[in-house]
Amino acid sequence: MEGHKLAQVLLATLLVFAAGCVTVKPQQRSVLADPIMQFEGDPQASAQLRHAIDNREGSYGGGGVAGGGCGCN
Amino acid sequence: MRLQLRAPARVLGSLGRPAHRRTRSALIAGAASLVLAFARVASAQVAQVDTAHTFYHEAPTRTNMTVYTPGVDVAVTPAEWVTVRGGYEADIVSGASVATKAGSAYQSVNPGVDVITTASVKDFRHSPRGGFTLRKGDVAYTASYTYGTENDYKSHSIFVGARTDAFDHNTQFELSYARNFDSVCDRVQAVEDTPPRFRALEDSSGCFTSEERRRRRALSIDGFQASWTQAWTPTFASQLVYTAQLLDGFQSNPYRSIIVAQGLKAQEHHPDVRVRQALALRFNWYLRPIKVALRLTGRVYRDTWDITSGTGELEAERYLVEGLRLAARGRFYRQTGALFWSDDYTGGEPPLGPKGQYFTGDRELSPFWSLGLGARVTYTIHPTAKPEGGTARLLGIFTNAKLGSSADVMQFSYDEYTLAGVPITNARAYIIGATAGAAF
Repeated sequence: MEGHKLAQVLLATLLVFAAGCVTVKPQQRSVLADPIMQFEGDPQASAQLRHAIDNREGSYGGGGVAGGGCGCN
Repeated sequence: MRLQLRAPARVLGSLGRPAHRRTRSALIAGAASLVLAFARVASAQVAQVDTAHTFYHEAPTRTNMTVYTPGVDVAVTPAEWVTVRGGYEADIVSGASVATKAGSAYQSVNPGVDVITTASVKDFRHSPRGGFTLRKGDVAYTASYTYGTENDYKSHSIFVGARTDAFDHNTQFELSYARNFDSVCDRVQAVEDTPPRFRALEDSSGCFTSEERRRRRALSIDGFQASWTQAWTPTFASQLVYTAQLLDGFQSNPYRSIIVAQGLKAQEHHPDVRVRQALALRFNWYLRPIKVALRLTGRVYRDTWDITSGTGELEAERYLVEGLRLAARGRFYRQTGALFWSDDYTGGEPPLGPKGQYFTGDRELSPFWSLGLGARVTYTIHPTAKPEGGTARLLGIFTNAKLGSSADVMQFSYDEYTLAGVPITNARAYIIGATAGAAF
C-alpha cells in the first residue's frame, strides 16, 4: 500500500516536471487567451451557480480556478 | 468595468499669501501632489464592475423553495501591482421546508396520521465582502474578508491565496486557505435532556439577542485548496484542483425534527466534525475544424460521514457571431448516503432502522443522483479602436461591456428519501442566471 502511494507521488512529481518541457510560445496563445478557453470565464456567475448546487448536494469542493493556461491573468 | 484615472487639470500655487492661507495652500498642494503622483502611476489602469443574479426555484412534493441571489462586485486597479475589490451579495429565500420527517415504517404503524409537517421559510442573507490582490512579477497574493448575516446565522470568513506562473507562463500554481468563524442560532435545551429529547428551534425570534431561550452554536470551517493549470498545446489546457475542508461545530438544521421512536421526535443531530476532500480534473480543448471549445470535468469526493460522490460535466461553447457565444452543458452527479442516514429511525428492514447516535432528515445526506442540462449566452462588446489612437470607448465611457444569461434545469432522483413512505419523484430545480459587466 505504501509503495502504491509512493508511486502516485512520483507520478505526480514527474507530471509537474514534464510540464516544464511543454512549450507553447506567447504568439501561439491566441486561442488559449480567448474567453472561450477560460476555466472560470465568469467567476461571479459560476460561484452563484455552484452555491445553488452545493446547497442541494452532500459534496463540496473542486471548484474551478480562474485562468486558462494562457499566462494572461 | 475599467475606470481610467486621470491627473487633475492643474495644481494650485501658494506663494505670497498670509501664513494661515499659506498653510492651507500647502496642504492643498501636498494633497494635489499625492493625487498627481498616484494618478501618474495609475494612468493606464482600470475599474471593473460586475453584477450577477441567480433565481432558483423548486417545488417537489409538499415543499417548495425560491431563492433570488443578487450580487455586485467592483474591482479597481490603481497601479499595476495592486487591485482592490469590494462586493455585496444577498440570498432572498422564501418557501416551505420539511419541519418533521418520518419514514415508511413509522407511517405504517400510524395509518391515517399525517406525520410530516412543513414550515414556511423566509430569510434574507446579506453578505458584504472586500479584499485586495498584490502582484510582483509572476506572483500574485490575494486576501479578502466576507461577512454574512441572516436571522439565524452569522459568518465571518477570511481568505488568503497565492498564485504563480511558471515554465514560460504555461503553468500556473495556486494555493489558498479560508477560515470561517460562524454562529448558528439554536434553542436552549433542558439541562437534563440528551439529543434524542432535544426540541427543534421554533423560529428565529430572539436569535443573537440576550433572549434566554436562544443560544449561539459555533461552527468553524478551515478550507484549503491547491490547483495546477497547464497549457499543453496552443488549443489544449488542463486543470487539477484539490480541496480539503474541516468543519467543527454545529452542522444540523436547528428547525428540523426527526421521528426517532414511537411518539418521540427530536431535533436533527449530526456529528460535530466533518472532513471533506475533493479532487477535480478539467480539460479545455478547442476543436479548430468545428470552432468549438469543449470543457470536460470529472470530480471525485469523499468525507468522514462516508459520503462518496462522482461528478461529470461536459460543456461545449462556440461563437455564433463576433462577440456572441453560446454554450450548452450537461452535468451528472451521483452520491452515496451518510453513514448515519436512514429514511426511518424507528424500525423496518435495512436500509431502514436506527444508525447509531446520530439522525438526520436531510435529503442531501441520502443516496441520490441528479442530472442537469443548461445553456448560456454571453455577449461581449469591444469598441472599435480609433484610427488616431487612444483608448476606444463604448458610449464614450466603457472600454468593454459584457452581458450574459443562462438557464439550467436539474432533476434529482432519491434512492431512499421519502416523506412518510411517499417517494419524491418530482424534485426538479430551475436555475436562471443573468450577468452584466463593464470596464471604465
